[in-house]
Amino acid sequence: MARTLIPRPSLSASTLVSNTLKFKIMKTIKLIALAAILMLGAGCKGYLDEDLSGKVVGNAALGTQAGLEAALTGAYKGLGNTWATGFFHGTATGATMGGDDITTLVGSNKQEFREFDQFAVSAGNSRTSNLYFGCYKSIQGANNVIANYTNTKGDQQTINTIAGEAYFLRAFSYYWLTRLYGSIPMITTAEFSKDQLTIGLTKPADVYALIESDLGQAIQLLPDAKRDYGRPNKGSALSFLADVYLTEGGWPIQDASKYALAASTAKQVIDDHSKYGFEFLPTYAQIFENDPTQNGTAEDIFDITANMANGSTTEANYGWAAMPGDMGGWDDYFSELNFFKNFPPGPRKDVTFRLTYTMADGTVKTWEQLTSKHPYYGKFWIKGDVANWASSLPLVMMRYTHVLLIYAEAKARSGGPDADAYTYLNMVRQRGGESPLTQGSLSATQFADSVVQERAWEFAGERTRWFDLVRLQLVEKANANKNPGDLQPIGAITKSDYTFPLPISETSANPNLNP
Amino acid sequence: MQLTAIVLLTACIQVSASSLYAQRISISGKNIPLKKVFNEIREQTGYNFIYTNEDLKQASSVTLHQKDASLNDILEACFDNQPLAYSIYKNIIIVKLKEQTPAAPLMIRQMDISGRVVDSVTGNGLAGVTIQVQESTIGTTTGPDGRFSLSAPDNAVLIVSYLGYQTKTVLATGSSLQIALTPTTTGLNQLVVVGYGTQKKGDLTGAITTISSEQYQTQPVTRLDQVLQGRAAGVEVTNATGAPGGDVRIRIRGANSVLGNNDPLYVVDGFVGADFSTINPNNIASIQILKDASSTAIYGSRGANGVVIITTKKGQKGAIHVNYSGKVSGSRVLRTYDLLSAGEFAELVNTRNAILGLNPTYTEDQINDFKQNGGTDWQKEVFRDALGHEHELSVSGGGDKTTYFISGDYLSQEGTIEASDYKRYSLRSNISTQITDKLSFNLNVSVNSQTNRNTQLQSGTSNPAVQALVWAPTTPIYQPNGDYVLVDPVGSLKTNPVALLYDRNNLVTRTYENITGNVRYEFIDGLALEVTYVVNHLNQNGKSFNGTTVTNGNPSASQSSLEALTLQETNTLSYKHTFGGDHTIDAVAVLETQQYQDHYFDATGTGLLIPALGYSNLGLSASPAVSSGPTPWRLLSMLGRVNYSYKDKYLITASIRRDGSSKFHGSNRYSTFPALALGWNLTQENFIKDINVFSHLKLRASWGKTGSQAIQPFATQSTYNTTIYAFNNSNLTSGILLGNPGNPNLKWETTDQKDIGLEVGILNGRLNLDADYYVKHTTDLLLNAPLPGYVGGGSYASNVGEIENKGWDLSIGGEIIDQAHFTWSSHFNISNVQNRVVSIGKDIGDRIFTGSNVGAGTSTQSEFVIQPGYALGAYWGLKYLGTWKPDEEKEAAKYHNVPGDSRYEDVNGDFAINAEDYQIIGNGMPKTSMGWNNTFTYKAFTLNFFFQGIMGVDKMNYSLASMMSGSGDGRQITLAMIRNRYIPGKNETSNIPAFSRSNVVYPQSSRFLENGNFIRLKNVSVAYDIPLTVFRRKADLKVFLAGSNLWTITKYDGIDPEASNIGSGTDINQSIDYGAYPNSKTITFGLNFGF
Repeated sequence: MARTLIPRPSLSASTLVSNTLKFKIMKTIKLIALAAILMLGAGCKGYLDEDLSGKVVGNAALGTQAGLEAALTGAYKGLGNTWATGFFHGTATGATMGGDDITTLVGSNKQEFREFDQFAVSAGNSRTSNLYFGCYKSIQGANNVIANYTNTKGDQQTINTIAGEAYFLRAFSYYWLTRLYGSIPMITTAEFSKDQLTIGLTKPADVYALIESDLGQAIQLLPDAKRDYGRPNKGSALSFLADVYLTEGGWPIQDASKYALAASTAKQVIDDHSKYGFEFLPTYAQIFENDPTQNGTAEDIFDITANMANGSTTEANYGWAAMPGDMGGWDDYFSELNFFKNFPPGPRKDVTFRLTYTMADGTVKTWEQLTSKHPYYGKFWIKGDVANWASSLPLVMMRYTHVLLIYAEAKARSGGPDADAYTYLNMVRQRGGESPLTQGSLSATQFADSVVQERAWEFAGERTRWFDLVRLQLVEKANANKNPGDLQPIGAITKSDYTFPLPISETSANPNLNP
Repeated sequence: MQLTAIVLLTACIQVSASSLYAQRISISGKNIPLKKVFNEIREQTGYNFIYTNEDLKQASSVTLHQKDASLNDILEACFDNQPLAYSIYKNIIIVKLKEQTPAAPLMIRQMDISGRVVDSVTGNGLAGVTIQVQESTIGTTTGPDGRFSLSAPDNAVLIVSYLGYQTKTVLATGSSLQIALTPTTTGLNQLVVVGYGTQKKGDLTGAITTISSEQYQTQPVTRLDQVLQGRAAGVEVTNATGAPGGDVRIRIRGANSVLGNNDPLYVVDGFVGADFSTINPNNIASIQILKDASSTAIYGSRGANGVVIITTKKGQKGAIHVNYSGKVSGSRVLRTYDLLSAGEFAELVNTRNAILGLNPTYTEDQINDFKQNGGTDWQKEVFRDALGHEHELSVSGGGDKTTYFISGDYLSQEGTIEASDYKRYSLRSNISTQITDKLSFNLNVSVNSQTNRNTQLQSGTSNPAVQALVWAPTTPIYQPNGDYVLVDPVGSLKTNPVALLYDRNNLVTRTYENITGNVRYEFIDGLALEVTYVVNHLNQNGKSFNGTTVTNGNPSASQSSLEALTLQETNTLSYKHTFGGDHTIDAVAVLETQQYQDHYFDATGTGLLIPALGYSNLGLSASPAVSSGPTPWRLLSMLGRVNYSYKDKYLITASIRRDGSSKFHGSNRYSTFPALALGWNLTQENFIKDINVFSHLKLRASWGKTGSQAIQPFATQSTYNTTIYAFNNSNLTSGILLGNPGNPNLKWETTDQKDIGLEVGILNGRLNLDADYYVKHTTDLLLNAPLPGYVGGGSYASNVGEIENKGWDLSIGGEIIDQAHFTWSSHFNISNVQNRVVSIGKDIGDRIFTGSNVGAGTSTQSEFVIQPGYALGAYWGLKYLGTWKPDEEKEAAKYHNVPGDSRYEDVNGDFAINAEDYQIIGNGMPKTSMGWNNTFTYKAFTLNFFFQGIMGVDKMNYSLASMMSGSGDGRQITLAMIRNRYIPGKNETSNIPAFSRSNVVYPQSSRFLENGNFIRLKNVSVAYDIPLTVFRRKADLKVFLAGSNLWTITKYDGIDPEASNIGSGTDINQSIDYGAYPNSKTITFGLNFGF
């Protein structure tokens, strides 16, 4: 059989278009191609300019009152950005665990909290860095408002208020920073420049000078009434200034002349407290109702406010953080054993601590029966014992009671306690269920000591005790005889434990920040 | 006007015949000696001739005027009226004197054989294929649709050969044969698609890998990444997530960019920057992977990460071909962790409590009850056996002028984690028309819609696969009233894993519409203008819902929408000409613009008033919030390339591209990317020919520059971010925060790459080797220097760094056994890349930390660091030295530890373990990837084994850390491995720390860093071809059964060494496993039916 090769048949093509049409198509295509190239050429000019619609760029944004207001709102954000920066979760409480009022669990995920309680804080501790970054984010926003408000057009009074709040935020943030870290980098300008990356540390004295000056500006610019619950008024600025002066009287500034200023400034607030809307509530229980439907209480000088409708504006210090694991809580913080045992009985102790705990199955345990064997702070439970970490409760950064006791202590340290000093201290003692002190019964030092002790009971767990111990250099003494059931300090406590190392990311970004 | 409209309409539905089609031969001349004609044919086709000079002397010279003729036509013309006859065996043409004797009498039974020859890639019939009965002169060629019939002795061996395809031998059994020919990957004349043009494989000067569909024909691939995985040297594919339709990391020769994406650039039918997930592997005609700079520089500012060029199938002239393919699969998670039983867990918790000084958590009664009745097996609740199926139907064909290919595909896959799945619908229509000899049109339209449900990468705290590991086995799923148990009182601090599955829903639907129109006009022979216009539209719609349980009573939902339009116009002028027979020039000049316009719009409702409405009524919430904005960019490019070859022996390619981008400003806006490559085709040299060993031998060398924009729009600007603050408990207020300071001086990253390559083919192309060595240097590396917190944090982008990638790619493969009944083809490839950060500039400091946030709840520091001298993806942590042993008590005491506690390296020797003791402890970037693909055929059976492996990588196993540390959000130890812990007095050699008050577990330590190397049997499959007749037409039915990931060799303790929580977006933070979605073992049954 011969090989057969089948020739490829030509396909019967069904041509759609006639030859004439083909020619026209070609012509058209050539035209289209040419037109395309020409269009491209024509479009070149400005073709690559970036389209910035939808973006807020540059300082012009702060030229309007609304823009300035928006920038101020952003400045608050650093202080309250849940789980990210600021105070909305256990960072500030954790950072003050060196106080003898508060501790954490020996096991579980509390390693970073334990570092504070045991005086072995690592530069990598994320609890301090959350506060650190939050305060500086707020300072950046405040710097921006302060740098631009004089050029903003709008209602001058509102613009001044905005600026006043910005000065307040900057002072508030630097006050927290220098108390936590001592010497810190200090920035007062808004515009980023590369030389900021090599600056060195500013000593506490210079930081306090800025804080005083900023609070002075805030006092000038702020109105008597808060614009909203979460904002400061003139009284708030005065109260913080009094607190700053009190702190400056102690370590590390140790300028005793500040005590008189603390007393006089506190007195201004006390005298005008109604004007500023501050009240001393008749019962301790009213302060810690912790009703999320209320916007704080009349005792609040300044709150970082929350609204759990948004994940990043949710408060997480109340509820689970303060509840025992046996109930589903987080065991983040609870009372040290000796602190609880020495706490004077009375309505204040009843509100401060929880002593019985109802489990999911209905059984009730005492604090000794809890896994942690510690009493918990009932004052940080949400009304109705809501089992949740999230709430809309404000975090109270200072209470009017603080101002009363600032006056009492400062007065005692600047010429001795007067009748007002006794009155204010007794107001607090009596509300707490203690007997009043007789006018003139104590020496100035004794009186000051009793105020300091009163502050420990009154502000238990409220991030006050640690700073009192630091400024009065009582940290070593307060931690000397801890209950064996509590965490013990690792190694000896020294002055270097009074402040924390700057976050390691900061010193590695700028080695000039190494002390 | 009307006419123009009609013409335009016609233009829109026509498209051009593929030039990939087998090559044609052109020979012209008067009285050419046959020997010279044979030489010419050999040059042009690669076919060899066997003859004796004696025989040839008897032949007369021929006069030929053949242009683009088929081999048969030419041979017919040559042998017309000659005393000679020829036969073709494989790619050898045997020339003999005509036999004078008649054909031998029929000694054996003759039978009628018929069948069809198709392209193995496209499945289309091949016309003009030569079919020769072995050792006889019986033969035929196929008709237009690839069909043939002939009479041959029973059990004869047919030799099927066709230009540009591998010759195949087939046993002539049965009456209907379906023969698939594979395009010659080694064929010197095979056309390879390169950027903005095609080139003959033999003329290539760059490092280009081709993947043909035969390499994955009987394997269950549903997406492009599965095609690329393990099949191309220098391409590393890691399935970061085993979720169907999930994220996958694809890298070509390492990672060059820190800020930018290191994904390769995908070019589909000329559309630059396609999304690889939209390509249905069934529609792919060819894949070219461009690796070296001489190939990629033509893509300039987007070519630095390599380029994957995909050409989709086109119709072939001939009768309608209909093909259905279907797959059904079942998947199961690779393995699960060995967790403690409820009883044992409860005992251990009490044991540990006692040591820590805490009260017991469980009573004896409770423990006994758990021992008797068990507890909750959370892993069982989270994982499931998953089903999947895919159906594809395609119709193709065409007339003389117009061809079409239409394919529809539906894919539905369940994930092995409950409540996760993926669906994909795609439709493609490719139409080509050759209007005249000079004018052709193409129109490719594709629509692709995919919906991912709960397949996104998740970090630990809200990941059901993590919570299943750390929720106590003693905690029930539901409360007695049927509600979810809200909190685990003993184990995890986070949400109930079962609630995380069902009280949440996250859907993302992406719908792409791509229209690529192309018109080509050839002015004169070799000079053509091609205009391509692409409209690519993407609608991305996200819907998510978080119910009451998972939000602790604050249910929220959101919807997001992104509308993005990409417009591309490419004008290509190409010229190809051969001067004086020896000098060939192939030049191309292109003007291209691309603009991207988008707008996103997100709406979120928090505090849903009626959670049952899910994400459907966002307004009905306590706090609705919206955000919106565009991120547009534009690119303007001019480029040119010249290929010059001298006698196909010496090859030069030079190209240059100039890109302008809207993302940059001033003089940084434009940049130029040149490239040069040289090739030396040693096969054309006589001294190599004389050795008679190499069928192919080529040396290549190339250099070029490519770029990466690496930054998002607006990076040169200081912009504000929008934020929300609450000044009271009932309202939210929007505000602005200063964002990252802009750097107006930003410019392109530039990657300079040098490559040398060697291509070897021996045994007549049966065995081939490709080897490349390269060095890539990326300079002006864009780095986000993290700004210290005191200036507001964030980062500052600048061009300060330098990265080097060097490595080699090797692939070796061939037809090891090639017999009539039995074949074995084996292809092995391995590639190695050493990535090294050379510099991060002077201003930044020693290193840059980059956190992944994956470790939230476990770790508190950045796990990764960018540090000169190390690869991207270097792990930062403490070095774990095991436990303190009994004889080290004194030393341990200095650290306030006791024997049995964790011991870490104290780098600064201050007797405290803290942030200063962190160091680089490992490498998260794989160094080596390999693949080994084996296909055996026996008669109608095909068996495939495909191994794939990744080596040279450490994995941070946070799942292990969360189960073993008893700290972190997990709180208790749940893994059975704890049985082997250090127990004072009993087991003091263990490096698993004892229960102790003074023990500190740092999850971010080498204790939880594991070797992540693995080799996996990626596929084993068996296929069977069943010839059929349907509607009196020959049909082909192929069935296959495949198993994927059936066997893995690894030392890794986790479920899957391949899975990671970090997606393809970054290369710095990779290889962390914290409940990463594991890959699964899958059994697939597939069926392919075509007629």
